[in-house]
Amino acid sequence: MNDMSIVILVAIVLCGVVPWLLIPRRKSSTADVSSYHPNLMETLPTARHYAYFRQIRQALSAADSNYLMENASPQVAKQALQKRRAVARSFLKGLHEDFSNLTRLGRIIAALSPEVSRKQETERLMLAVKFQILYTLVLLRLSTGNLPLEQLEYLTGLVGRLATRLDAAMTEVNALSAGQIPGRIGV
Amino acid sequence: MNHLESFLNWSTISFEIVLCGFVFARRVQRVLPLFAVYTCVLLACGIGVSLTYAYYGFSSLTAYYAYWSSILLSAAVRSLAIAELCRFGLRAYRGIWALVWRILTVLSVLLLAHAASDAWGQPNGVAIYGTTLDRDLAFASIIVLAVLLLIRNYYGLALEPFQRAIAAGICFICAVDVIGNTIKRELYTGYLFPWFLTSQKSLWPALRPQIMRVNDFWSTVHLFSFMFSMGIWCYAFRKPLPAPSESPVLLPAGVYREMSPAINLRLATFNDRLVELLKP
Repeated sequence: MNDMSIVILVAIVLCGVVPWLLIPRRKSSTADVSSYHPNLMETLPTARHYAYFRQIRQALSAADSNYLMENASPQVAKQALQKRRAVARSFLKGLHEDFSNLTRLGRIIAALSPEVSRKQETERLMLAVKFQILYTLVLLRLSTGNLPLEQLEYLTGLVGRLATRLDAAMTEVNALSAGQIPGRIGV
Repeated sequence: MNHLESFLNWSTISFEIVLCGFVFARRVQRVLPLFAVYTCVLLACGIGVSLTYAYYGFSSLTAYYAYWSSILLSAAVRSLAIAELCRFGLRAYRGIWALVWRILTVLSVLLLAHAASDAWGQPNGVAIYGTTLDRDLAFASIIVLAVLLLIRNYYGLALEPFQRAIAAGICFICAVDVIGNTIKRELYTGYLFPWFLTSQKSLWPALRPQIMRVNDFWSTVHLFSFMFSMGIWCYAFRKPLPAPSESPVLLPAGVYREMSPAINLRLATFNDRLVELLKP
């Protein structure tokens, strides 16, 4: 491939990327800073999937697995395990959404801040990229059955704590903002 | 100049007049003054080049230099219009703007330096030099626009519909310029290169029809795509511009200083746990 082909190819790719970036995205979970309103922090779903953490933890627990292996026929146990993995996969996807919402909160705070640290922003971007790669790998391992379901407990617990802390922090932000800018932000 | 070229030339000028009419009717100059200047420069260049063709002849040296001057002038003003597009609407978000303008400035300086060095290294000939510079400036414009849109999307700062139309039009014309100029440059520096060498004057009569064919074809493609871009802009300005949105209410600086490191720390912990999950 010569220089001419490369330049033309890159131009075509960029010409495809720019219109794609120009398409406005309006998803229910997407919080757009330009459409920011006083109750945004409250309406943003930070940990929607985490709400089912207790049920999922129970379903994925080692005790449940052992009970199945001991009391059900091998075929039923195998089928149940497959279904549990499917549930775990869906839950993992839900956690990904929760994680995205939490990082989006970070970006909203940055966008609405009068000062932004280049180091902090770069770090968050890198963490998000790293998460995306690791998440894909975990999902792959779960799909191939190489990941013990019990280990998901650590993950869900961590997201839950993060969500709880951020929710508390956002309440503080709202309270702080309401104090500084009466009537515009906060309750 | 053949009939098709003549038709396209006057059609383009007509489009430019309509575009300028829309721009001033919608008072775009109050919101995006450099884009308004860009449309005026396009019209002025179009009329200027046509008058040069009429007075000095299409194949004259004056027309040749007038054409290339107009191409490079409009590319330079287009760059300013892109810079204005970057600044518009983003400046209100002081923290992000402070971050973004540095990134875009560094990127622009690097791309302009690359364009200059790329054009500088070309063999003699205004056409080769101009084609290279025009191509690289168009390429730089698309990259800067893409980076700007990436940053805006990342922070959820959407563009207004008319800004999106301006960006789409600029991107389209730049992409066509990059592709067309790359092919033209390859031909100029390839088998048509003797056309630019006085030592190869004996080959000029044989090369002349081919040079004319390349220029005619490129001119037709360029003018059609240019009119398409102007059509996008005219369509965007068919309605009055929306009232300027209120400046966003920013959070106290302490909120970011306190929360951002905390968020990043938790995200890092989360990634560490994912790594643990993947360990055999």
